[in-house]
Amino acid sequence: MTKLWLLIVGVALSWAVCADYPSTYEPPPHAAFVLTHAIVDIGEGQGEFNGWVSVADGKIAAIGRMDEPTPGDALEINAGGRWLTPGVIDVHSHLGDYPSPGYRAHSDGNEATSPVTAEVWAEHSVWPQDPQFPLALAGGVTTLQVLPGSANLFGGRSVVLKNIWSRTVQGMKFPGAPYGLKMACGENPKRVYGGRSQSPSTRMGNFAGYRKAWIDAQEYQKKWVRFEKALGEYELWRTSNEGESDYKEPPSPPKRNLQMETLVGVLKGEILVHNHCYRADEMAQIIDLSREFGYQVTAFHHAVEAYKIGDLLAANNICSAMWADWWQFKLESFDGIKENVAMVQAAGACAIVHSDSATGIQRLNQEAAKAMAAGQRLGLRVDASVALTWITRNAAQALGVADQTGTLAVGKMADMVLWSHPPMSVYARAETVFIDGVRRLDRAAGLSPVTDFELGQREEVF
Amino acid sequence: MKRLLLVTTMLVMSNLSANELLIQNVRLLTTSFESGVIVDLRVEDGIITEIGADLAPSPGATFLDGENQPVTAGFIDSGTTIGLAEVSGLGVSRDGEQVDDDMTAGFQVYLALNEDSSLIPIASNDGITRGLIVPEAGDSNYAGQSALVRFTRGAAFLQQQTVAQHLYLREGDRRRAGGSRSSALAAALEALEESARYDQQPRAFNTNKNRSFNLDESDLVALSAVRRGKVPLVVQVDRAADIIKVVTAFGSYPALRLVLASATEAWKVAPLLKAGNIPVLINVMENLPQNFDRLGARLDQATLLAEAGVRFAFFSGSPYSETRSLSQAAGIAVAQGLSWQQAITAITAAPAEIWGLKGLGRIEVGAIADLVIWNGDPLEVTSAPVAVLIDGARVDLETRQDALAKRYVELLNLK
Repeated sequence: MTKLWLLIVGVALSWAVCADYPSTYEPPPHAAFVLTHAIVDIGEGQGEFNGWVSVADGKIAAIGRMDEPTPGDALEINAGGRWLTPGVIDVHSHLGDYPSPGYRAHSDGNEATSPVTAEVWAEHSVWPQDPQFPLALAGGVTTLQVLPGSANLFGGRSVVLKNIWSRTVQGMKFPGAPYGLKMACGENPKRVYGGRSQSPSTRMGNFAGYRKAWIDAQEYQKKWVRFEKALGEYELWRTSNEGESDYKEPPSPPKRNLQMETLVGVLKGEILVHNHCYRADEMAQIIDLSREFGYQVTAFHHAVEAYKIGDLLAANNICSAMWADWWQFKLESFDGIKENVAMVQAAGACAIVHSDSATGIQRLNQEAAKAMAAGQRLGLRVDASVALTWITRNAAQALGVADQTGTLAVGKMADMVLWSHPPMSVYARAETVFIDGVRRLDRAAGLSPVTDFELGQREEVF
Repeated sequence: MKRLLLVTTMLVMSNLSANELLIQNVRLLTTSFESGVIVDLRVEDGIITEIGADLAPSPGATFLDGENQPVTAGFIDSGTTIGLAEVSGLGVSRDGEQVDDDMTAGFQVYLALNEDSSLIPIASNDGITRGLIVPEAGDSNYAGQSALVRFTRGAAFLQQQTVAQHLYLREGDRRRAGGSRSSALAAALEALEESARYDQQPRAFNTNKNRSFNLDESDLVALSAVRRGKVPLVVQVDRAADIIKVVTAFGSYPALRLVLASATEAWKVAPLLKAGNIPVLINVMENLPQNFDRLGARLDQATLLAEAGVRFAFFSGSPYSETRSLSQAAGIAVAQGLSWQQAITAITAAPAEIWGLKGLGRIEVGAIADLVIWNGDPLEVTSAPVAVLIDGARVDLETRQDALAKRYVELLNLK
């Protein structure tokens, strides 16, 4: 029993290094309310209904149809037949790391100095005064993942943020969200380092680089396991004089290696792998790589060719984060098709629409709509409610926060968007956006965050 | 060269239906997607010759049933690079800029166009039938001359070799001309002056007796056409303060036809642009304050320009997804307060007027039959063309992308 307890302490000790830089975000209090007469889509792909949602203490307290009684005492907000959905989630963003204005002095998204920079954390680059955050909010985005860029095989850690104005990035961090690790396939790493006559300069060089790093991580993990075992033995010997220990003094821990900590976090299943990968054949090889080292790929990002291997992605439980119609801007995107997202969905795999763009993030609903319509024209059965899951529930799942947000469900965070038109319409504007039950955008009331940068020079832009 | 062009023209003509095409049962939209009446369109030799209900077909006519779906004029992108790059990220496949400072305004993109590019049908697939193929600034702020194309593959692709001259005076462009906005504007004006001197004594240039010419003869000829108003000058400029200076400086050439592009802060100086009747090309989706020239970037800029009575058209500025998203951009403008009709106009009649394209951008008797029949509201992201006609000829909407989709739907048995 003591031994087990000590083992837990040891594991906790090694994990503690990952839990630094904690979130300081606390939703401000708000009056309980019930939003009535809304066309509600809870984000489970099951269609919509005319109903109400009641919110208290930042959480969804109850959901009902209009013919069911609402909780009596809460303040009623009549949605007037407008459309209510979960907050939009972007799994692939660089807001804050590549802010506007986009000068070199502000360009902090890619530590392109070595093919393996798993030691960098995207949050340490985030500028919370980036005016792109409120623009994304105007598109209904309540949660986003900020990732390091894709120049490197291992780009570093991502961070999941709540899209609220804060003086610090800690004040934006999604409490308890797991970290992600950005990896990149294909053209970018080999171009950046090959261009410097350095490895990798080919796709096979990319793979050699991944494998070497994972082997290093396994060795590092073993060092810590050995240390934890020795510490356990020492503690047992010290407290009970039972058993034997080679240690008459506490063993000293291995020197921390930030790069390895992140990779070991993946091997332990605590950090989620977000792998930039365009081509189907490369994704298939990355799946083999993950098997070789015993980790799970959470999502392929920019998965332009996911439609070619929907079966493989479904079998391996890997999400694909995709654009609706981006293509042609590089050779590995040349086979991009508008039907990609719908075909991944039809194959039974997890489909997500992402932006990777400070303009695209403002209209993920439209991008999902384009992808949906392309699928319908092809004869695939995808409807507006399924398309909504591509920017809500499935995105939350890939970020490891589906138990807290991504759908409208009792007990979840009240992250919600009230739209002027059906959300799959080009005319739909997010009119009111709630994050943890707090109105962060309300067009009718003229409420929208104004960043420090905009103050006094751009306030008129809503 | 002239003979080649003649052959090209004849090929185009032979593509056109010599006989009549009767397009039946299409909804002619007026003020909104819900508006309009069901009509037939008679098309002869690529021209709309009659519009009315239940038109009687001529003997031998071919038919196209619109099934009461809406019809619009083909969309016109006022700035794209389709045909200049197969893969825009691959430097070797790009031809949209020149990096030889011996040539500036004389650069012509039409000589680099690939009329067989697989990108072409992807544009027509989204209802875009014509486009201005625009050079990017390479080593000179005068980037050269744009061409007009039809988005149909083959010999008919190129429509007009020279449409406009393009000058870049945005924040980063001054590095090509002395490092200051002041020197960049002065250099642009000095080049025009030089073209005036050239016009006065072209022989002096040919005998190399006049040392005052810094530019090549092709540049001077091109700039002379700009100065004399034969070819409009499109200036890419963002900051309100710069727009004022550009309008003032180029306004001193009475014949010069100025068009502003990008023009992020045009809405701040709208009265000036209205007074000068200066058209503005905007990219609706560019609402980021990406630099200090663009602090005034906003999503509702088209609405502000419309309210102020400024002429405007939309452009994509891109060879790929933004080009196909031209109608999406127009839809976004509507969501931001522009009327549906004004948004459609900004991608049809307005660009036709700015570029002097007679017969394009409108559905009326005598107009060129660039027509798109849609399966829904043309500005909706969920809508798509069911038929596209360019010069009255049906465009094959099958793309390489369709072939890819078909292959993998079958391989994975997805239906």
